[in-house]
Amino acid sequence: MEIKVYIESGIIESYVLGLADPEDVLEIERLRKEYPEVQQAIDDFSIAIQEQALKNAVMPPKEIKEQLLAALSFQDPLTYKSVAPMHVAHNSNLTNENRVPSIYSSNTNWKYLAAASIMLFIVSAIGNLLLYNRYTSTKNEYAALINERNTLQANNQVFQTNLKNYQSASEMMADPSVAMVQLKDPAHKKDNMTTVFWDSKTKDVYLLTNKLPAPDKNQQYQLWALVDGKPVDAGMLDPQCTSLCKMKNIPKAQAFAITLEKVGGSPAPTMDQLFVMGTI
Amino acid sequence: MLKQREQSAFSYLYDHYSGALYSIILNIVPDKDLASDVLQEVFIKIWKQIESYDNIKGRLFTWMLNVARNASIDAVRSKGYQKQQQNRELTEHVYFAGGSTETNTDKIGLKKVVNGLKEDYKVLIILSYFEGFTQDEISKMLGIPLGTVKTRMRSALSQLKQLIR
Repeated sequence: MEIKVYIESGIIESYVLGLADPEDVLEIERLRKEYPEVQQAIDDFSIAIQEQALKNAVMPPKEIKEQLLAALSFQDPLTYKSVAPMHVAHNSNLTNENRVPSIYSSNTNWKYLAAASIMLFIVSAIGNLLLYNRYTSTKNEYAALINERNTLQANNQVFQTNLKNYQSASEMMADPSVAMVQLKDPAHKKDNMTTVFWDSKTKDVYLLTNKLPAPDKNQQYQLWALVDGKPVDAGMLDPQCTSLCKMKNIPKAQAFAITLEKVGGSPAPTMDQLFVMGTI
Repeated sequence: MLKQREQSAFSYLYDHYSGALYSIILNIVPDKDLASDVLQEVFIKIWKQIESYDNIKGRLFTWMLNVARNASIDAVRSKGYQKQQQNRELTEHVYFAGGSTETNTDKIGLKKVVNGLKEDYKVLIILSYFEGFTQDEISKMLGIPLGTVKTRMRSALSQLKQLIR
């Protein structure tokens, strides 16, 4: 009979093992209802496979069952005490006494772990906040220190420049070829005073302002050299210059004078604004 | 009480079938650690789907076996496993020139039986059952017409039945 050929064809086995095509599956599910032989063949091979598998079983690691029982959460920690003795009756004492408490403890362990991790998180958050605050204040302190250092450095440069000026001034004063001329108020009414240094070799002129009233914004002191009775411009007094100021080169002079002029100077001195004067 | 009854049922199922299923998983997933993971996954699947299992369609074990086989093939085909295998092959070739512990799993369970088949049949069963290739894919891989693959597969399964009996 044809159904016997069908059964012997190998299609039963492919169906049981899950290897059959969808069309074959439809066909066999129709035929198994129609022919008891087909159903029988399916059962026979299924049993054969099952027995072969059971005979060749490989025991998995013990802990897998424990993990599964925990994962499927059969064990509720609250019912642990009432449930435990019944398990002892079910299976061997040894495995149960070992297993049940371990599930119980693993369940509570999770709670402790969760609580501990929350605590850790809070502690770490507080720690972070404290560290952040300390970081901010340190950053501000650092910025203040940098500022202070810059100021000190700037001051230091000013002092160095001043020192150099004074050094060169004192060297110049010690030089025998340099003539020192004291300029004073010709009317002797005010104690205005400046000093002019004139190097007879290089013809360089330096001015040291000892005492002069501060000029208005639009005014500036101008140094004059009197050469054979005529005033010659010897340069403007730079308001920035606080110590020894280099003026214009003057080859020859008999006297020096300072007048107050408009900013930038004048071609001829304004005589009623004569502040100081001195002869070599 | 319900939970407790459920646990007994699960324990029964596990104690009876875990070894048989672990054996088939090892046939497909030779790495023992991964095979253990697959076994866990399989039992969770079985337990969650046991209500939808229809005993008219087939035996419980047949159904569980198919769940285990499908999960194992999925595991082997996952990207992570493929990568791990590549690395392992590299190091093994360098240090041992072949001969890994994996060959042992060919000597257990259904694969042991399949290894008793003649070469033509063995290849077909390994590729289809243990590696999960479709007949169409096998036809292309081996360069054999699809019709031939189908008839040869049927013969191979008939042979297998004889060996299992």
